Amino acid sequence: MTVEGPVLDRLTHRLSECSPDLLEEPCVGGRGTIHVDAVVNDLVLDLGGAPVPGDVLRRFCPAASVERNHMRLVMVACWLLHDPWFVRKKSFAEAALAWLSEGLEEVAGLVKSSLFVTDPDRREELARLCLAALGLRPKGESGAHAEDRLRTLNSVERARVISAMREKQERARKLREKMEQERAREAAAKASREW
Amino acid sequence: MRWMLEHSDAPAWNYAVGDRVEKADLPAVETVRRETWESRGGGTGAAPARILEWVAAMRGRVPLFQEYLPDGMDLARDWGAVPTMCREDIAVRPEDIVPVDESLDRLIVYDTSGTTGHAIRVPHHPRAMAQNHPMMEFVLEQFGIRPEFGPGKVACINVGAQVGTVVFANVFSVWKQAGFAKVNLHPHAWNPERAQRFFREMGPLFVTGDPLGFMEMKKWEIDIRPAALLSAAVALGPALKEELEAAYGCPVIDTYATTETGPIAYANPEGEGLSVLPVDIYVEIVDEDGCPVAEGEPGEICVTGGRNPYMPLLRYRTGDFARMTWSKQFGSDPMPRLLDLQAREPVAFEAADGSVVSPVDIGRVIRAWVFVQHQFVQHEDRSCDMVIRPAPGCPIGVDRMKEQLEALFGKGIKVGITLDDTLGDDSPGGKVVPFIREGLTPSC
Repeated sequence: MTVEGPVLDRLTHRLSECSPDLLEEPCVGGRGTIHVDAVVNDLVLDLGGAPVPGDVLRRFCPAASVERNHMRLVMVACWLLHDPWFVRKKSFAEAALAWLSEGLEEVAGLVKSSLFVTDPDRREELARLCLAALGLRPKGESGAHAEDRLRTLNSVERARVISAMREKQERARKLREKMEQERAREAAAKASREW
Repeated sequence: MRWMLEHSDAPAWNYAVGDRVEKADLPAVETVRRETWESRGGGTGAAPARILEWVAAMRGRVPLFQEYLPDGMDLARDWGAVPTMCREDIAVRPEDIVPVDESLDRLIVYDTSGTTGHAIRVPHHPRAMAQNHPMMEFVLEQFGIRPEFGPGKVACINVGAQVGTVVFANVFSVWKQAGFAKVNLHPHAWNPERAQRFFREMGPLFVTGDPLGFMEMKKWEIDIRPAALLSAAVALGPALKEELEAAYGCPVIDTYATTETGPIAYANPEGEGLSVLPVDIYVEIVDEDGCPVAEGEPGEICVTGGRNPYMPLLRYRTGDFARMTWSKQFGSDPMPRLLDLQAREPVAFEAADGSVVSPVDIGRVIRAWVFVQHQFVQHEDRSCDMVIRPAPGCPIGVDRMKEQLEALFGKGIKVGITLDDTLGDDSPGGKVVPFIREGLTPSC
């Protein structure tokens, strides 16, 4: 995050104004009204990039219904990336496409896409994830502060920490249970005390 | 083994347990055997490369190691700044010490004897226990003893003297199915005449025990000619050592070990002090801040390493104190020496009927409750008082504890129990001597 980007409030405000139309049913498994692939291709062109190859665009026409929330999130992210600050630069097409293709699946598995429009912390998270993907930091923030703040808000990171904590607690429980069981068995024979 | 179990003078066996060794464990036992003989050296006083590599490898697997070893730490350069582990870590957070990817299938548990404080549970592994056997053989060989193990022979008998303990017989896989028995020389458990006959018939190649057990063995006039007596658990005083050597006509070898660390050192026949025994641990002496002291200076014994896969040790404070030297050669074993070891002192209490009550017996009663530490004192009139420092949120059943302790000592001996939140505050390191017998100069 070495390059200064736009003011963060600009992006979070834009997200709060995301039209409900963009959260209509995306085309998944042949059903839906929003052609996410077309929206992505238009965005990339507006950002100064070349038309997106067909095999890449196919990622935005998934067959599985589990992808629905993911595709809605891609739509919200496209709305965000259409901010004139990005469009004017004509330099973010490649990074934006990479982010849209690969950077949203994990968080979409954890958070309902509409929250990135309605919830202040989630709006800030998505705005910061977007800037990080483009190699930018919010205007007025240092790189270290921006990274630290993103770490705090990052739903994926939080899920990892919680999952790791739960794993640790479960292992501790299993260990204590095993130690209690084995204690009742008086260990194994040994030739001398303390040895 | 059946011969031991069914002998007409055998004690009342009250337990059945084997060594739980599997065939896949045997190569690891042979590795310890080979290394114990072939990899001995005095070192430089600093943690050797083998230990540093082991610690670095464990860091990826042990939460406590990750906590104690921040990113970027240079182990060789910053060793003295690595925080020390202590008994409380094992008692309170074993899940942070057992490696996260270690299968729990073979886990066994030992309770420490509680001779230095509240007993704690130590997760252990049968393979690690089996690996101690070649080290015991090494110690015996330093005294010219090379026992020939085999089926039909009794490798050793372990003697103790407690009001209550497990008593059993088994065979050791790593000693070619030679027999072993753990016996209790206490009038509540056995009698001298039967014990004398049993020992004569069994003819153990050597005997292990603690000084209290050996004192009772002599008192019971058990007349055998073992190749050696190996003493552990508490310090063996020179007077008792001489008495036992005269009585049994064999070397009486003091060893220093803890349940948490396994064997640490043995009394070398050449020169003074005790030689560090295993080659897969690093023993250092530290000050109260955990900083290594200069060669020959006194401090607390810390241990790193070990072969217990469930208890990797990182600068584990033993609670025992000594000086250490590594550059001075005393004899043929080049390993570092512990000098002026101040380990746990033997204490024996007296019941109403004159029989022995061991600190281990008291520990078995009091470990039912959770507390920080205790001090148990038997006065000259045999009455007892105990002070307990409670742990926050952990109630102590004082009446029940008193009842059980008075039952242990027998009719007529009163036991008083006091709770004191400040016990140890005025003592070095916050620790108090857990067991005191007033009016007696230790005779062993």
